[in-house]
Amino acid sequence: MTIPPDRKFQPSVFPFNARINVPVEERILNNGASLFLMESGTEDIMRMEFVFRAGMIQEHLPLLATSVNMMLTEGTEKYSSEELNTILDYYGIFINQVAEKDNAGLTVYFLNRHLEKVLGIVREILFHPVFPEKELRTLINKRLSWFRINKEKVHHLASEQFFESLFGSHHPYGRQVLERDFGEINSALLRDFHTRFYIPEKMAVIISGRIHEDTVNMFQKYFGELRSQGNYIEDFVGQINGDSTRKKHINKKGALQTALRIGSTAINKRHPDYPGLKILNVVLGGYFGSRLMKNLREDKGYTYGIQSTVSSLDLCGFKVISTEVGKAYTDLAADEIYREVLRLQSEPVPDEEMKVVRQYMSGEMVRMFDGPFAIAESFKAAWEFGLDFSYFKDLMEKVMTITPDEITELARKYYKIEDLYEITAGER
Amino acid sequence: MIKYEKFSLGNGLRVVIHEDKSTPLVAMNILYDAGSKDEDPSYTGLAHLVEHLMYCGSANIPDYDQPLQLAGGENNAFTNNDISNYYLTLPSENIETGFWLESDRMLEPLFTQEKVEIQKNVVIEEFKQRYLNQPYGDVMLLLRPLAYTTHPYRWPTIGSEVSHIEKVVPEIIKRFFDSHYTPGNAILTLTGNIDYQKGYDLSEKWFGPVPGRYSQKRCLPVEPEQTGPRELIVERNVPASSLYKAWHIGSRLGSDYHSMDLLTDILAGGESGRLYNKLVREKNIFSEINAFITSDIDPGLMIINGKLLKGSDIQAAEKSVNELIDELKVKRVPEKELEKVKNKFESSTVLSNTNILNKAMNLSLYELLGDPDLINKEVENYAAVGSNEVMESALRYLDEKNCTTLYYLSAEKK
Repeated sequence: MTIPPDRKFQPSVFPFNARINVPVEERILNNGASLFLMESGTEDIMRMEFVFRAGMIQEHLPLLATSVNMMLTEGTEKYSSEELNTILDYYGIFINQVAEKDNAGLTVYFLNRHLEKVLGIVREILFHPVFPEKELRTLINKRLSWFRINKEKVHHLASEQFFESLFGSHHPYGRQVLERDFGEINSALLRDFHTRFYIPEKMAVIISGRIHEDTVNMFQKYFGELRSQGNYIEDFVGQINGDSTRKKHINKKGALQTALRIGSTAINKRHPDYPGLKILNVVLGGYFGSRLMKNLREDKGYTYGIQSTVSSLDLCGFKVISTEVGKAYTDLAADEIYREVLRLQSEPVPDEEMKVVRQYMSGEMVRMFDGPFAIAESFKAAWEFGLDFSYFKDLMEKVMTITPDEITELARKYYKIEDLYEITAGER
Repeated sequence: MIKYEKFSLGNGLRVVIHEDKSTPLVAMNILYDAGSKDEDPSYTGLAHLVEHLMYCGSANIPDYDQPLQLAGGENNAFTNNDISNYYLTLPSENIETGFWLESDRMLEPLFTQEKVEIQKNVVIEEFKQRYLNQPYGDVMLLLRPLAYTTHPYRWPTIGSEVSHIEKVVPEIIKRFFDSHYTPGNAILTLTGNIDYQKGYDLSEKWFGPVPGRYSQKRCLPVEPEQTGPRELIVERNVPASSLYKAWHIGSRLGSDYHSMDLLTDILAGGESGRLYNKLVREKNIFSEINAFITSDIDPGLMIINGKLLKGSDIQAAEKSVNELIDELKVKRVPEKELEKVKNKFESSTVLSNTNILNKAMNLSLYELLGDPDLINKEVENYAAVGSNEVMESALRYLDEKNCTTLYYLSAEKK
């Protein structure tokens, strides 16, 4: 006779630990390029991420960094764009090209038995692109098409304005793309940018999965002797001049919803307060049970989703609360957002809620170190700022020990209402 | 080789367990054999609304999310035409919390008046945000009722109109739940750091006592054969015109499912597909072009969609698409090209299997289709497709008489 389970009470919750102790092997190639190897997972696959300091921060014109990155697979010395893509697909290689505000590069995912093939193709792509005119025209047309479509989306309009307000319209972090910028891009500009910033000696590669035993040797063979063609230019260090106007509205006729972005610049990952700020962010709007979600979605139904994030860039960080709300709720939503920020500055977070946040973040940490993809992404997130996995150990330590009073302090220090920008896009 | 064990409980619940000790987590996936195809045509969008309400409290657990967060867990769900699928991951130490949560809401979700009203609003905002307020967002709201005249696939999962959602009351929610969310209609899959024995014991402990209920028998109207081309022209405030062509194809378990899937990869897989090479790269007619099958369980659709570059004429663009379709009907696909798309499928399968959540979802879906071992067999099934089959499938389905075309025109001045 089975006893029915006691459904009234949650089964016991036991402590658990994230496996942050993943060994990382660092190897330097003959030319100075770095490899970081992390063995992980059960499937015979590898993930390799090639990183260069070739992001938007290096641009003197908009669209350069992203165009160069996108054009890498559009034709090389050995292969036309059609041939290149056919080879990648034939070997089942998935490739992700990315150019962000600081860094740029590509990530490949493949069955590890194809490693040598992959290295040969990636070397072609990264160091011998030819930027053919026809493919460039095709790309520019495609991007212009996406650009025009994005200009119809309130969330895009709000995000773009948000970055411009924070970083200034002349800084690469904040400069908005205009339609006329598409006409300025040509192959010569791309070639120049590529030569200056896709530098073999400064390449970093993050390698995870079931790592082929010949990986390091093959990297020496394919990449170890490559030298850069141009002179290395010192990093751009631009002035960040935020807009003096804190509130800005972008009108979009006919929009049913309004996009809201509320936030400002912040400290970045190198700052000792950063872990605490991350925890505060979770309480405010970093998980489904957050203050913002509970209030604006679950209680009031103003929106399908609201979140807050704290992000780190090389020159500084930023924090933002983002949502799209039904048009009629715009002002109400903004009020509730400020109310939640003020609440965090005046009332300490109750113990029960602290417990949920600590447990939630502990669970997240387990996921951030589970499997070859997550481990590599976590490594990069720390490495980009000159840190290593001990950053995450410190973060976990903070998660377990931070007090409600510390959170209140951080809210007062970093979320002063008068410093926050409020950007809206929609129909007023 | 993905090893698993499966069994059924007395109430009809099917359970599948796959051990993977390389991870500290366990993924739990509950698939209910209930989707938007099971809705009453005057209450479309209901299955998706029920999904939202499953998170709004059950008899013993007023708040689903917080206990899960306390245990270090994460969750999400989705609903489509065929199924409602709920999933969570937890550190293996705390997997019992998952059993407690999921079995309680299979037993008795609350569906209170208050929560129904709030979630109606949330879903209506979702309707607006994703379908009405986005360029091209309403495409499926237009294409589905055109391609399908009779079968419930004629409305999208979000619902065919906001008013259907607005008029929902708790009784309507409860009726849908009682008819379709039965243990006999559900598949529970566990993957990750869990012993088979523990999985079995916990399933019996928490789900065993959930009483079996009568599952409403599914009796859906069959879509009659389409005997002539259908088309619709609309104008919208979008910067680029877009072309959509849809053909009726077979069911998920049909013998030509794999050849149709490979056919769409030949056309538009990655950036080496024929449509991309010819019409984007070479002729600059489209800025982007996609081809895919809906993978619906009942007979679904193959859809080709492309965004036109400024200056391209949509009739001419359509003609160029048709030329490439016709090519598939008269010339066999070369061996190397077919091998390419099969290799890509194999690679994506192996990459997908690095993740226990993917494995849990796939095992659930394959169990629903009748054979969880498809998780190991699908790569071979694709590999076995010959170029003759691909040509036969093209001839069978890609006919103008079977085609529905949506001309989604930019209202902007040229």
